[in-house]
Formats: sequence, structure tokens, C-alpha cells
Amino acid sequence: MSSLELTQGVVNAILLSGTLALVAIGFSIVWGILNIINIAHGAFIMLGAYITYWLFTLFGIDPFLSIPLSMLTLFIVGYLIQRYLINLVIRAPLLVTFLLTFAMEIVIINLATFFWKGDLRSVTPAYSGAGLTLGMVQIPYIRLAAFFISLFLTGLLHVFMTYTKAGNAIRATGMDIDAARLQGVKIAHTYALTFAIGSALAGAAGSLISVSFPIDPTMGGAYTLRAFLICVLGGLGSIPAVMLGALVYAFIEVFSGIYAPGLKDAIALFVLVLVLIVRPTGIAGKAFYH
Amino acid sequence: MTEKQKGPMTLSRFDKLASNRQRLLLVGVFGFIVVLFVFPLIASGFWMRTLTLLFLLAAMAQGWNFIGGYTGYAAFGNVAFFGIGAYGTALSMLRLHFPFLPALLVGGAAAMAFAVVIGLPVLRLKGHYFAIATVALATALGEVADFWTDFTGGAAGLTLPFFRPISLSNYFFYYLALLLVLLGLGLTYLIMNRKLGYSWVAIREDEDAAKMMGINTTWAKVVAFALSALMAGLAGGIYAYWNTFVLAEEVFKIEYTLQMILATVLGGPGTIFGPFIGAFMYYILITLLVFFLPVGQLHETILGTIIILVMVFTPQGIMDFLSGRKKLTLSSLLENIRMHRV
Repeated sequence: MSSLELTQGVVNAILLSGTLALVAIGFSIVWGILNIINIAHGAFIMLGAYITYWLFTLFGIDPFLSIPLSMLTLFIVGYLIQRYLINLVIRAPLLVTFLLTFAMEIVIINLATFFWKGDLRSVTPAYSGAGLTLGMVQIPYIRLAAFFISLFLTGLLHVFMTYTKAGNAIRATGMDIDAARLQGVKIAHTYALTFAIGSALAGAAGSLISVSFPIDPTMGGAYTLRAFLICVLGGLGSIPAVMLGALVYAFIEVFSGIYAPGLKDAIALFVLVLVLIVRPTGIAGKAFYH
Repeated sequence: MTEKQKGPMTLSRFDKLASNRQRLLLVGVFGFIVVLFVFPLIASGFWMRTLTLLFLLAAMAQGWNFIGGYTGYAAFGNVAFFGIGAYGTALSMLRLHFPFLPALLVGGAAAMAFAVVIGLPVLRLKGHYFAIATVALATALGEVADFWTDFTGGAAGLTLPFFRPISLSNYFFYYLALLLVLLGLGLTYLIMNRKLGYSWVAIREDEDAAKMMGINTTWAKVVAFALSALMAGLAGGIYAYWNTFVLAEEVFKIEYTLQMILATVLGGPGTIFGPFIGAFMYYILITLLVFFLPVGQLHETILGTIIILVMVFTPQGIMDFLSGRKKLTLSSLLENIRMHRV
């Protein structure tokens, strides 16, 4: 491998890590606060991607401008699903919520395939090919923009969780649900809000992904697994931990893609199992979000 | 709320066939099995093939019941054992020129061996981590089987010879699959009346307490995992020869894992007859829904909706009602929500 390939690989990995961090943070906040592995997270990402695609294709709306709408839609969908479905069985054994979100994923993907067909589609604004060239290294503008938007949304989430009353209520619920209830936190609403925020972030991630990669109804599964892997690598405790996990994972993905393209996912999954085995109690350490 | 509220799925169930109701159930199930034995005398080839598939699902569900139902570990990668059983059987027949039955045993043994090797490290994980690690292993294994063309035929698959004489093929696979189901029932019954069965239930209820009581939890969990692999592996081997074709995409499909879990959960996880009855319920539900809602492409939406409804209303399965532990009323259907909502 030449030094050019190496440098390009490093740049690609760093750019990818931004979007992946956004993918994983929505997943980790739901896992951390609600103790749910949301298998349907990837399906929400897919919905976000399709919202951007349709707004662009039907109305010519710039993909980056559709992000707020995609977030709002997914926020509402997420809130309703948690409030009126998952909340009903949230304290049941793990298998119940796991299968529930699994089934949600199946339904969403199947309906999307039914209505929108399984074809690969892509969002191609006029500027999609443009980019910076630093020396020999290529940096497409859309990936750069996706990277900074991801960082911005991550920062926004941090501010929300730290400085707003609702954000504090979410963190308090994750730390001690009884104490939070005694302080007047409405648990059912807070759970729904947490899930809605996780879904909204998935929607934003989907919009960003649709600009850089082709989309189809089954695209989400790979992102759900990536989100899980990143949470395990980085740790569940905090936003910086997830961002670190995303960075490490992006390097694994980019470089295993260069060396062994056919086994890209297999390598990532074996790394996951290996990390899990080396730290069997879970990398989480803490079951809540700081 | 500080004390841990236990759902119906974690209530102790020792399945002693004590009450009259349960004796009736026992007679019913055995009568049903006798009917299944004579069924081929009147059945068409279509029904025999449908039931053969159903038996294979029931056998896999019985296997999943060991690890998921009795031991309480949410194994989501059991299709890996199905795939290994299919490839083990096919490769023994093609490369080593084994006859089918020894090849089937090789397939089952290979699945068991794999379960022991990965079970030792992976069964140390708990909860979500265990669930995802098993999904990941099954997915990765499917990808490796697809990629490793020299050994597995890759995307071209492996083609097996037909069973001969062809006129007896339907009967052969029907009875073989039925025998596998009986093996599953027998194994479950034997184990649940022995120390191993009690160890599994103890681990499900409280693993630390089980360990403190002197149970070798590692051994018990690995045995549960290996036996669930044996059932899925044998089912995979039978499927491979029956189908005469093995393809990684097909035998490592995650839908198979979902189907075996759903069959177990519909029937009753942690019960002897649950997975067997649940497999029938699953097939009847799917057939009825496809019949009344003739939209083939929405098949998975229907499957998903059934899973959601079962998870919300009766995640402890129909065995609770059949065995008389619960009455089928509106309030008992809402009990799960009452216990587990916020």
C-alpha cells in the first residue's frame, strides 16, 4: 500500500467516523436510558434517507435542507412508537423488547420495499462530485459537510442533555428511575422523549448517508450492527466515548475494506465478538448516560 | 419498584405433570403424534412436505427452548447451527462419500462442536451482549461460507444427489423429521426431570444464586447451548439432503432464528410441549393470514405484526392456558401489560 492510499484511507476513515458517531449516539442513548437494544434503529435511518430522497426527487429540495424535516418526522414516529407500544412492555424480560424491536424492523423494511420497491436509489445534487484536493488526497465536499453536521448535532445533543430541564430529566431517569419519579419526572413521557430523540438522530444520519451512498430499504441492518459495535468499542457511558468508538470502528472498516473487501462485515463482527469476550461484563460499566 | 418485579416468563415452571389438566394434555399430545404417524397414509405429497418443514421448525424450536426457554439466554444466532449442520452433512456426502445417515451425524456433531467452542467464551456474556454476539457470529459465519468458494461452493452452492428411490423420498424425510421431533420431546422430558434441567431453570431465575448453590453454571450453559446446536444441526442436515441444494444465503437466513424463537414463544418457552405446539400455531397462523390477506409481498409485515402482538399480550405462550395455569380472559391477556408498563 502506498503512502497515498494510506493517507486517503485515514482521511476517509475520519470523515466516515462523523456520520457513524451520529448513527451510534441515537442508538446508545436509547440503550443507556431505556435498556432497549433498538434493532429498528437502522430502519429509522432508512426512513430518514428516503425522506431526503423523495424531497429531493419530487420537489428538488436540497438534501442538506431536508435534514430538519427528516428529524422532525422521525421524532414524531419515535415518540408514538415508544409511548403507545414499547412503553407497554418496557419492564418485561429482555427477550420481549428485543423481539418487539426486531419485529418493528421487519415490518418497516417490508412496507418500505412494498411501497418504494427494492431498487438502489441515490441522491445526486449538482455538487455531489465536487471536492477539495489536498496534494493527492481527495475530500468530497458532501462528506466534509456530513462530518461537520454530525459534529454539530452531537454537540447540540450534549448541550440539550446538560443544560435543559428535559435533558436533565432524561439523565436522571437513566441514573435512578425512582428518584427521578420522586422529583416529578413523568417517566412514560421521558422514555418516549428519549426514544424520539434517538429516532430523530437516526433520521438525520439517514439523510446524511443518502447523499454519500446509494440507499435501499434493507440498508439499515448494517447500520444497526455498526451502532452496536461502536457502543461496545467505545462504551455506553458518554458522548465522547461513543465518538471515540466511531473513530476506532471507522478505521477498522476502511482498512479491512482495502485489504479484504469480501470479508469486511465478517472482520468487523469478529472484532465485536472478540471485544465482548475480552471484556465480558460489557464495556458499558455504567447503565446510564452522563 | 426497587425490588425486581418478575414477569411471567421468569416464574418458576418445573413442569411436573401433576394435575389432571396436564395429564389430559399429555394424552392429547401423544394422540396427536400417533395421528401424525399414520397421516402419510392419507396425505398428499404437498401436505407431507409442509409437515416435514413444520417438523424441522419444531425440532429447531425445541433446541432453542433449551438455551432460550429453560436457561434464559436470548440466543439469536441459532441459525448458525442449522447452516453448519447443512454444510457438514453436504460436505461429508460430497467430499468424503459418506452415506446420508453417517453424514447427518457428522453435521450434527459439527454443530455441537462449534457450539462448545464458541459457547465457552460467548456464554460468559449476559443480556443484550450475548444476544448480539450470537447474531454477529451467525451473520459472520454466513458471510464466510459465501466467500470461501473452494470449500463451500460459494455463491454457486453445493448440489447433493437425490434420495433413491424417489417414490419413497417424501415418506423418508417425513418420518425422519418426525423422529427428530420425538428425539427433542424425549430429550426435553429426560433432562427436565434431572439435575441438569433444574440447573438450567436455576440459572434462568438467578445465575449468581445458582452458582452459590454449587451448580456448575458454565457446564450447564454449554450443555444447553450444545444440545440446542445438535437439534438445529440435525434439522439442517435433513434439510440439506431433502432440498438437495445448500446455499449460504439460504441456510444462514436470520428468519430461521426468528421462526424458531417465535414458535417457542407462541407455544410456551420453558415447557416440554411448548415449542412443538408453537410450531403448529405458527404455521396455522401464517397459512390463515396468507389465505385471508392474499398479499404475498406483505408476508413479512404479517409475521412482524404477529410477533408484536404476541410480545405485547402473551409472551409466555399458549401453554399457560392449555395447562390450566391461567384462564383465557381479557384480563389475563392484559396482565402482561399491567405488569410491565411504565
